[in-house]
Amino acid sequence: MIEIKHLSKSYNKGSVKAVDDLNLNVRPGEIFGFLGPNGAGKTTTIKMMVGLLNPDSGTIRLAGFDTAENPLEAKRQTGYVPDNPDVYDRLTGIEYLNFLADVYEVPVKERCERISQLLDMFDLTDAVGDLIKSYSHGMKQKIVLTGALLHNPAVWILDEPMVGLDPKSSHLLKEYMRKHCDEGNTVFFSTHVLEVAEKLCDRIGIIKKGKLIAMGTMEELRHGDQADSLENIFLELTE
Amino acid sequence: MMKKFLSLLKTYCNIYFGISSMKYQYTREKKSLWKPVLTLAGVVVGIGSIIYLYCLMISGIFRGAQAIGHPEIVLTVAFLLCQLLSLIFGIFYIISVFYFSNDMGMLVPLPLRPGEVLGVKFITVLLSEYPVTLSLLLPAFILYGTTAGTGIWYWLKGIVLIVLAPVPPLVIASIFVVLLVRFVNIRRNKDMLMIIGSLLGVFLGLGINFVTQNIPEGNEAEYMEKLARSSTALVKSIGSRFPASIWATLGLSLPGLSGWGYFLLFVGFSLVLLAALWWLGDRFFYKGYLSGQEAKRKGKALSRQSMEKSIGTMSSPVSALFRREWKLFLRTPIYVMNSLVGVIILPFALLMPYLTQQGGLKQAMGYARNSQYGFIAALISLGIILFGSGMNMISCTSISREGRTFWFSRMIPVSPENQVLAKLLQSSVLSSVYLIVIAIPLAVLLHISPGRLLAIVILGTLVNILMNILGLIIDLLHPKLEWNDPQEAIKQNLNVMFSMLLSWLVIALFAVSAIALIQYGIPEAWIYLILGLLALLLIAPGLYGLFALARHRYRALEA
Repeated sequence: MIEIKHLSKSYNKGSVKAVDDLNLNVRPGEIFGFLGPNGAGKTTTIKMMVGLLNPDSGTIRLAGFDTAENPLEAKRQTGYVPDNPDVYDRLTGIEYLNFLADVYEVPVKERCERISQLLDMFDLTDAVGDLIKSYSHGMKQKIVLTGALLHNPAVWILDEPMVGLDPKSSHLLKEYMRKHCDEGNTVFFSTHVLEVAEKLCDRIGIIKKGKLIAMGTMEELRHGDQADSLENIFLELTE
Repeated sequence: MMKKFLSLLKTYCNIYFGISSMKYQYTREKKSLWKPVLTLAGVVVGIGSIIYLYCLMISGIFRGAQAIGHPEIVLTVAFLLCQLLSLIFGIFYIISVFYFSNDMGMLVPLPLRPGEVLGVKFITVLLSEYPVTLSLLLPAFILYGTTAGTGIWYWLKGIVLIVLAPVPPLVIASIFVVLLVRFVNIRRNKDMLMIIGSLLGVFLGLGINFVTQNIPEGNEAEYMEKLARSSTALVKSIGSRFPASIWATLGLSLPGLSGWGYFLLFVGFSLVLLAALWWLGDRFFYKGYLSGQEAKRKGKALSRQSMEKSIGTMSSPVSALFRREWKLFLRTPIYVMNSLVGVIILPFALLMPYLTQQGGLKQAMGYARNSQYGFIAALISLGIILFGSGMNMISCTSISREGRTFWFSRMIPVSPENQVLAKLLQSSVLSSVYLIVIAIPLAVLLHISPGRLLAIVILGTLVNILMNILGLIIDLLHPKLEWNDPQEAIKQNLNVMFSMLLSWLVIALFAVSAIALIQYGIPEAWIYLILGLLALLLIAPGLYGLFALARHRYRALEA
């Protein structure tokens, strides 16, 4: 579902390699956790996947579509939530959602159902008639999540999606991620909360200085040592 | 305390003027070095031509003033202009920098006195006023200094006075804003505050325009003398309300002790005002800022029916983008005000000389209504309207206005061509509305026939589309996406100036073509047709270029 081959991106004329020859493959039905210390290249990778940054080299395929050759189709298959969303704060919540539904060409019946369902889930129904500028940080995060998921994309790409969410919304989102993948779709998300990654992810990738230094299921990362926690593995690998 | 203040000032200026970010961009990314060079060249040409015209006016006033034995009037005129412009434009900056910059959340918790924070913000505004101050004061200062036989003290006192010149108007504007925010609980409604600021600016502008429109008639020598005489009267009438400019003039032009007296009066006055602002800042600045922090939210659930009504129809992506553009535009008063201001002020400014001179309006109307000149009147009206719509900054800021939300444009599955098409449609609808709103009253006033009205509306719409395409191209080439407050996207955006200059070129091209066609004796209907075809001929490659550029730039502008 997600195929990344030889992906590289550098800044300052190549002196800083933000992402260095990254290769990874995420299969249908998988929740993939993308971990790494600050500045390791997580957000740069994610931004290249959704078309916000141009790779220096390498290819990215999302749901079978090459992001360079067929960017619009790849974008239609993707739902993206940035780590610190800047949204149109002079639109009301419902106007924002309707705008996205039009842009992603979601049929009327489907958009009504999905918007109601997502608003109920994130407890936003009462706020959706207000301007987004009156929302708290967490509410903005939830409206962006709702907007990203309302066209029911096969691939979810979420950059630190739990930050700013209250415990209930965070719990519901995790359940929703699982359900989405059980239907044969894919979730790719970055996080610093290792417990969440440990419990939720089918596979985990750890990136450091732009290079993927480990990838696999929890068992594979532990190398058979059942007592080892993800925190210990992470600290050991990234020191 | 001073060290803390200076450190804050240094950091704040660095952020406000983007010094580190500029250094980073142009030392590390040398490939982009052509951008500031080109921008600088554009600024020199654009602003240089305005300064050149101003210098011509100043030297005219100086010659006239010399003729009546009061050459120092030129200094008063320059100081007066500088102070009035600082007052008018300063209000916007002050409101924005004092209350609506995102840094307040970081500054308030720091162990700094409110007066210090206000002081730093004030100095930043003051520094950003200096380019205008220097452009206005230096020509008069040098002209008077080099011809009126002054000594070394003139130049030394002059430097101090030029540095202090924008202080009194900016302090007065700051005190007004700080007290307004503190005692009229308006901070909560940022948009209302911006509207008040804008209207104040418009009325001050119109008022000054009205007062200064007493242009005398006659031959050149007479004109100069009358200009100087009327300037003397004007200087006296306005100067009595803004005595600081008179003090500055007398401080520079009077010899001996009395000159020093006025000089010290001006310096003392500026320092007292600064101290008053500091004192008020300590007492009221944070209180005013904090009084409107809580967000307003209705928090009322939308009923199932109204929700279904809101989302119950599906539109095409272009139409959705078009509606988004409108909503964001109309809900940001600073955008609406700025796009309207030019259009509102322009007809007044053009009519003002006639309104202030008895018989002038009647005479002009008489010519325009004469059927012999009807065609010319229609074309001139069109020129005026296009000049007004060339001043609206909608198309040339449409990418810049996206600011930090530009990531949506890169992320959504809509082609760049369709995205700029939505922006072009929005700006063209807006210019067409202006066109019609101004053309109809003009047509009634000048007795322009319905046929001619239709012709100039169609022709005007085509030229507007062309100007909007050029505006969008300029913005695509160099959008200002980094801003904290919407007003920065338009007021501190050089694209507005470039687009205005380009729109004047377009108008000039059509004016020259129209004059040539008239001189060749081409019939009126054919002239409209040929000009229309010319517009279409330019629109076609313009659109092609715009779409090609959009494909390239939407990819290059990383979010």
